[in-house]
Amino acid sequence: MDVARLKESFARIAMHGDEVPLHFYADLFLKHPETRNMFPVSMEAQRGHLVNALVQIVANVDRLDELTAFLRDLGRDHRKFGALAGHYGAVGASLLATFQHFSGDAWTPELAADWTSAYELVASVMIDAAREDEKRSPAYWTGTIVSVERKAFDVTVLTVQTEPRLEYLPGQSVAVQSAHRPGLWRYYSIANAPRLDGLLDFHVKLIDGGAVSMALTAGSALGERVRLGPPVGALRLDTSSRRDVLLVAGSTGLAPLKAILEQIACLHLPPQVHLFFGAREADGLYDLPALDKMAAQHPWLTVIPAVSADRFYGGETGTLADVVMRSGAWTGHDVYIAGPSEMVHETAARLAGAGTPPDQIHLEDFGWRDR
Amino acid sequence: MTTSDAWYDQEERMTPDSLLAVTFPLTRWGRNGYEEEPVRAFLNDVHGELVRLVNERASLWQEVQRLRRRILGRENGHDAVLFGKDDAHAHAVQMLSNAQLTADRYVADAQAYSGRVTEEARNRRDEILAQAQQHAEMLLEEARTQARQAAVEAMSRDALPPQNAQERRAVEGELAYLRTFTDVYRQHLRIYTDSIQRMLSDWDNKERTMLPPRPVADLDVPSNAWTPQIAQSRPDPAE
Repeated sequence: MDVARLKESFARIAMHGDEVPLHFYADLFLKHPETRNMFPVSMEAQRGHLVNALVQIVANVDRLDELTAFLRDLGRDHRKFGALAGHYGAVGASLLATFQHFSGDAWTPELAADWTSAYELVASVMIDAAREDEKRSPAYWTGTIVSVERKAFDVTVLTVQTEPRLEYLPGQSVAVQSAHRPGLWRYYSIANAPRLDGLLDFHVKLIDGGAVSMALTAGSALGERVRLGPPVGALRLDTSSRRDVLLVAGSTGLAPLKAILEQIACLHLPPQVHLFFGAREADGLYDLPALDKMAAQHPWLTVIPAVSADRFYGGETGTLADVVMRSGAWTGHDVYIAGPSEMVHETAARLAGAGTPPDQIHLEDFGWRDR
Repeated sequence: MTTSDAWYDQEERMTPDSLLAVTFPLTRWGRNGYEEEPVRAFLNDVHGELVRLVNERASLWQEVQRLRRRILGRENGHDAVLFGKDDAHAHAVQMLSNAQLTADRYVADAQAYSGRVTEEARNRRDEILAQAQQHAEMLLEEARTQARQAAVEAMSRDALPPQNAQERRAVEGELAYLRTFTDVYRQHLRIYTDSIQRMLSDWDNKERTMLPPRPVADLDVPSNAWTPQIAQSRPDPAE
């Protein structure tokens, strides 16, 4: 396999931009119409994903360690979409046909052989990772929405029962697909520590024009089915630490932190916990009654609500970063922050600036742009 | 420019990038020249158009080559047809691609529209709430002013404790008045906030009934279906 030749070929093909993935999917769907079902109606984002993955793969084709890690994740990730080993051949054939189409006269038997062996390598790593993963967990979990509770104008709490039971760690999230938005997956944090009945809570914020959040929060969601991918995410409680805990939650960023809070409540000797819960307006402090109730039960827990865009609010006002910074010194705390990107990064930077060691700061950055 | 049957060849032509690099002479003092912004915007349009033309030219060139090969094949005695099975597939790919782009545009439009509607609803709600708060504060302030006045009057009329039955009756009268007054205002406020609440929930219900019935989507897809969906951009659990 001539790596330089492959890279040069890819650069030439990539000049055709969006035409390349467009051609690939049309070719695949024509040759294997049954594959169309599993993609969303709009393929715009999908084409971007494909190109990004190809760019990653080609860029790292001579750094096998990094490439393998990326491909193994990709292979596992594709299980929830229904990808089976047998389908990789179809994709490879369409990919090759597409590359040939955009290469024109530059397509030679040698180049074809290079691309074929490169794809075979990629496919075998992905298939192997998927196979290993099959022994550990199902491709996806089927869930039923058993409770829909509108907590604020734009926040709904869904409770989902899964089949089979989904094992996860507090702080983790799963990809969710609504029956009304086939092929569209969005990540949501599980908002509770594992329960005996296995039920999962999700805090869903309605995003203006967000395809999945609108489907999930519509009034008729009760009883509907969803699909959940495997639990992911690195945010989790450092149980070996003896330090006190600072939780900073912006809006529905509360979800993973509430799961961690419930986990702390089950500890034999819970640390002192300060939970800052912020929103733009008082209405956005959607889960405050439940948090206040917890604080009343547990003397180790202090809940501080804060509102950033309502100066008449009776409690703390200002951005979460401001409120946290003026409320105490947090250098000796384990810090967990979740919510909108800007708030997460600002708060983390200011805490680090004030002396909290970076390895004590744990983040969950909700993308949020498109849900 | 003369037309040539070799218009696709490599002769030096204007490229999109050369258009972007074009500079214009400065205007002389006291004379009006072109404004730079519109010229730049126009050049951007020309650039986009040229990119499209280049892509079209490339696909036409491929088509010409393909047809040439067919014709040559026929002249050489091969049993060639102008449109073979491969061509049908190429056309199908083209059609499906166009259909997909149309669908993408519809979805994007619908999403943008629903986004606007939700945003407007959110803004309207904020307005109503702000107005309600303002109104409530006004009512309260009015009640406070009147009560203060009533108290001042009662105090100034007689600073001493009630001496006789007549004075006691007068003070009791004031008290009764104040009590009634607060009751009335409380009631006013309640009616007002109730009506706001009702308005909001009516609005909410109307919004819901206006939604079209949702089709029942089937999550169960054939198990042999393949989804080569590349990892959704996960909101990085950035460390």
